[in-house]
Amino acid sequence: MRPSRTSYPLSYPLSWRLMDALEAVAAAIWPRSFSAAVPWLMLLPAVVLVGLLVLGLWDMADGSFRTLDTATFLPSDDYSLANYDRAFSEKLFFTVASRSLIGSLIVTVVTLVFAFPYSYVMVRTRSAALRKFLLIALFLPFFIGQVVRAYGWLIILGSQGMVNEALGLVGVAPIRLLYNYPAVLFGLVQYMLPFAVLMLAPALTAIPEEMESAAGSLGANWVRTFIHVVLPLAKPGFIGAGLVVLTLSLTDFAIPAILGGGSQDFIANAIYDQFFRTSDQGMGATLALLLVAVGSIMVGVVFALFGAGTLAMGRSK
Amino acid sequence: MTETTAADAPFAVSVRDVNMVFDGVHAVRDATFDLEKGRFLTILGPSGSGKTTLLRMIAGFGRPTSGEVFINGLAVGSVPPHKRSIGMVFQKLALFPHMTAAENVAFPLRMRRFDARTIPDRVQRYLDLVKLGKLGDRRIHELSGGQQQRVAIARALVFEPDLLLLDEPLAALDRKLREEMQLEFRRIQRELDVTTINVTHDQREALVVSDEIIVMDHGRIQQKARPEATYRQPKNAFVANFIGVTNFIDGVVASIDGERIVFDRPGFIGRSGNGFRPTSGVAARGALRAEQIRIGSGREALGDVDTVFGGTVTDAIFEGERVVYEVTVADLGDTTLRVFDHDPVAHNQHDIGSTVALGWNVKDVLVFGD
Repeated sequence: MRPSRTSYPLSYPLSWRLMDALEAVAAAIWPRSFSAAVPWLMLLPAVVLVGLLVLGLWDMADGSFRTLDTATFLPSDDYSLANYDRAFSEKLFFTVASRSLIGSLIVTVVTLVFAFPYSYVMVRTRSAALRKFLLIALFLPFFIGQVVRAYGWLIILGSQGMVNEALGLVGVAPIRLLYNYPAVLFGLVQYMLPFAVLMLAPALTAIPEEMESAAGSLGANWVRTFIHVVLPLAKPGFIGAGLVVLTLSLTDFAIPAILGGGSQDFIANAIYDQFFRTSDQGMGATLALLLVAVGSIMVGVVFALFGAGTLAMGRSK
Repeated sequence: MTETTAADAPFAVSVRDVNMVFDGVHAVRDATFDLEKGRFLTILGPSGSGKTTLLRMIAGFGRPTSGEVFINGLAVGSVPPHKRSIGMVFQKLALFPHMTAAENVAFPLRMRRFDARTIPDRVQRYLDLVKLGKLGDRRIHELSGGQQQRVAIARALVFEPDLLLLDEPLAALDRKLREEMQLEFRRIQRELDVTTINVTHDQREALVVSDEIIVMDHGRIQQKARPEATYRQPKNAFVANFIGVTNFIDGVVASIDGERIVFDRPGFIGRSGNGFRPTSGVAARGALRAEQIRIGSGREALGDVDTVFGGTVTDAIFEGERVVYEVTVADLGDTTLRVFDHDPVAHNQHDIGSTVALGWNVKDVLVFGD
């Protein structure tokens, strides 16, 4: 026998009845006819945030056309292209820009090469323990901030650090492991690896294991299976991970500052110097805008060549 | 490659005492069988019976814990899948979505380093074989389910493998398409004369497509026989139950008269199944197929049968081409028997609760000990 409807409410938990009451209140103040507006309302915070960013960019664009008056240390009232002229002609800015661009490209390639086997093993392993270990090893560095992590490398790689101490024990003179380009790239790769793995893993999960078995039964050894099947199918993951790593390392500040020790500045460090050391806000704004432009162009080129990868959220365009 | 020995080998596939244990599960136990060249074998069993594990070991995905698989007389235990000459159609087809249908079919030819100049012709020939001649340029997601099946078959056969393996590729199709593809498999297999091993849990499919059927349960091969023999002479109660709709009538053996086994229930007699030789007093069960029972409102309506029981209709299910009755028989210890009635002329309807007569022949009651 079915219990009558009136005996139902008693059997439901209190939380359900609270939810019903809340829904009734919500329906009273927000009638169903308004429901078409709900998705837009939920988008609002994001729209406001991006809008504020655009406002800030507008302000910077305005500043980038004003030169610093060295007498008053105030931005000039009249507009000129002098800052852009300096950005493109001065050797220092060219060095910093090319160092950042080449560095971020190297970091992207190296990170993807390291991230792929890591995420592949993480996705494909039959051992739940190994998968958990790999996940924890991935997330642990996230809890340690970028600055603390860079400082950790100072302790390990410094001239009196652990590595040099160990070398000293076997009679090797201390080696300068820090404050050079490789040290910065090393620090960036180490910082970017978790991002790349996390972006690659879903793309690899989406490749059925049966695909690889099929390639095997059709005559492909593991190398050819990788080249002809896994790599093309993982392409969206590589693009997504590559874009994230590229933009994050191109704009990174802390790692070049700490592991480069001032000698290996990236664009972000140069911008910081303009804003807070020489107080040339116009020049800082110019460099910042050029960085935005370069980053956008690189992302745009990748989008045009390969599509948006996993960032396209499964849509082809 | 050892082509000479391959040609002389008596069997396309021989499986010897193969066991597979993983994660503490004994998935395949002492599997042994031979398959002649050009035959179509179906491994039939419920899920978890070990049929897919056995197939994957033949394909080279997973090495037997013990025992050996021979292909064309050669032990292949240490040969990886890509070095075996085996075409496989996978459960979810595993077509490559980043390639067109033709590129999918060309893939094994490229991987196996066929002469590049011959590849386009050969791909077209196999696309024609599966009736996809004009659709080679389509991407996989632009093809229907049935067309995708055909691409998968062409891809598995295009390099002329010694052996074709089918890992339940039809399981996801709707019934009509599935039956169409079963006949298609059969046609292609006969046309190319390729030795084929098919895995399925669909007994109808096994009966329709196969030259031989292996029935598996709990990792063990229960029976290997031709489809008709599997159906008419099941080796044990499991096979009898798994294929067809079978009634089991339990009882105790009263006496034995040659092949005839007389139960302690008056009038219930069967014949020994698979050489079962009980002594009187032993528990046994008679297996009787639903279509071998005739149903009528009285004895005279049953025609030529040597066993008759009366019963009460407890359910009647109209299935279109036949009516399935459930009839409870008091004289058989209230056993409920399922009976098919597909009399195309009389269209008799027996209402639930009505009294009916059931009749069958002693030769159709197979008696097993388990």
